[in-house]
Amino acid sequence: MKLNDAILGAVFALIAVVVLFQVRTFPTLPNQPYGPGTFPGIIAVIMLICGGGLILGGVRSRAPVLVLSDWIRTPGAPLRMAAMVGFVVVYIFLSKPVGFPLLVPVLMTALLCIMKVRPVMAVPIALLTTGAIWLLFSKLLLVPLPLGLLTEVIY
Amino acid sequence: MDGTLLAGFAQVLQPGVFLIILGAAAYGLLIGSIPGLTATMGTALLVPLTFFLDPIPAIGAIVAATTTAIFAGDIPGALLRIPGTPASAAYTDEAYKMRQNGQVELALGVNLVCSTIGGLVGVAILIIAAPQVARFSLGFSSYEYFFLALLGLSCAILVSNGPRSKGVLSLCAGLMLSTIGIDVVMGIRRFTFGDTELIGGISIIPVLIGMFAITEILRKAAAPADLPPTPPLQLRRAISGVGATLWKYKGGVARSSLLGSGIGALPGAGADIASWIAFALARKFSRTPEKFGTGHPEGIVSASSANNAALSGAYVPSLVFGIPGDTITAILIGVLLMKGITPGPMVFVMDTGLVNAIFAVFILANILMLPLGLGAIMVSRQLLSVRQNILFPIILLFCVIGAFAANNTLFDVWVLLVLGLIAFVMEENDFPLAPMILALILGPLIEENFMKSVIKADGNLLEFFSRPIAGTLGFIMFAIWGLMIALSVARHFRNRKTEGAQQ
Repeated sequence: MKLNDAILGAVFALIAVVVLFQVRTFPTLPNQPYGPGTFPGIIAVIMLICGGGLILGGVRSRAPVLVLSDWIRTPGAPLRMAAMVGFVVVYIFLSKPVGFPLLVPVLMTALLCIMKVRPVMAVPIALLTTGAIWLLFSKLLLVPLPLGLLTEVIY
Repeated sequence: MDGTLLAGFAQVLQPGVFLIILGAAAYGLLIGSIPGLTATMGTALLVPLTFFLDPIPAIGAIVAATTTAIFAGDIPGALLRIPGTPASAAYTDEAYKMRQNGQVELALGVNLVCSTIGGLVGVAILIIAAPQVARFSLGFSSYEYFFLALLGLSCAILVSNGPRSKGVLSLCAGLMLSTIGIDVVMGIRRFTFGDTELIGGISIIPVLIGMFAITEILRKAAAPADLPPTPPLQLRRAISGVGATLWKYKGGVARSSLLGSGIGALPGAGADIASWIAFALARKFSRTPEKFGTGHPEGIVSASSANNAALSGAYVPSLVFGIPGDTITAILIGVLLMKGITPGPMVFVMDTGLVNAIFAVFILANILMLPLGLGAIMVSRQLLSVRQNILFPIILLFCVIGAFAANNTLFDVWVLLVLGLIAFVMEENDFPLAPMILALILGPLIEENFMKSVIKADGNLLEFFSRPIAGTLGFIMFAIWGLMIALSVARHFRNRKTEGAQQ
């Protein structure tokens, strides 16, 4: 998934410009030109220069906007990668309301099935992993993993 | 010295600590021998657990896991021609040739013993050099620290592969991330966009896991591949003949171990670079360079000593200055900072117990590696048959919970995901990640020392060069920058010339 250098260069340059504008609103030390904005400002200038260099190089190289690597052409690759991202996003939104012990086995089973693990295998693996992580983090390390729907059942 | 090192051992050999180290060493062997799981990723995955440990077992776990992981990377290299970690890539072909010659046990045995020797030499250098450098640097002020940290970052750019400008941008991204949150001088909010979660700054744990684990998970998810089966190995053949081979190439072992420690100490250059350079040098100094590439152990001996030596060498600048020698020590410094320990020369004065315990952990981990490593070679068949399409979803779940666990906030899981995706795109486009992680750790140090210095100097930047050591460091730094710019300009013109010649 190789993008033309100009695109990423532009992203960096854009961030640099935003930072430079933000920095101007920061206060400085009394009687000195330096302050909280000095350091980010310096970085932003370097970023702008190098980003600009990438834009120039990218435009001049006439490389295509996007070159897909070999592995992304593997059948189902985009789906599997999206599933990984989806797993994290769903966990973020549902872990509080649904709870770790109910949500994770379902999510894990789904993810394993997408990764072409047979359901017969996927369900026990998902249950075992959930149990192991729950024991390790919730019982041993006392991390408050959310109980969600089970809160009322248990208390 | 001996007395204090013994005290270090006494701390490390407490049953609880020892068990953690033993477990971490076994974990390291697993991580290292599975292709795609690097030592750095293994360390990042350990971080959420170390968060809950005392400093000494936490450091012990990281040291033990990385030591064994760097060795275990050799196992799939020799068996399948796939390096388990990047540090083994230099001699994978050579080791695989040895397998084709029927010498795979010898190759792995040599790898194991050389890794141990290299590791121990690296520790010896760490034990001798670090306190000396620390004593020398006790008088350093904010000027010296500012230049040292900048020097560290410049060095990271210099040794990173890929285009320089991309290395610099990766560095800038790391520095920029480190400025988010309350600033050190005046306490104003920077770049928080009104978000309360960002006021405390970006938490380091999810960034580390995202950059080193999520990237790899995404890559593996795209093309999961099960490894071909490997033959059973015989223990006796892995032991016999190793001694004779090592004796034959003892000069190479010594040279590479010393060289490896030195390269490891350079910020940004870690075990992988050390093993490439040691391999190349071994060929250059060899009496039989024509045998390289035919399953010749000489290069393997050198490179596998060097990569473990580099691991220990990286701790010299990390412990003495708080400037990471490689990505693993960058993570370690992050862990130490979370535990309220700021690495620096004062640690060697105030906390000798901790320093000696770290030395003891290193010695112990390298010695433990011999029996554990032999065990790993024996069960390598089972290790390598772990199915990747099952393994990576489990690791993903672990990453998510690990990112959540440090601060118990789902915001950190967002950080994990976003940084993982950014790092993935960057790596796909040849941006090296090491400068970014070094910059993220060093950013606050650089800014704080810069602002302190500026305030002390009352805004006069020439004051930065007024102290002899600071002046020298500053000069070296500008020399490196000059060299880098000159090199890239020269390359630019050479490229243009070849382009012109083609037209």
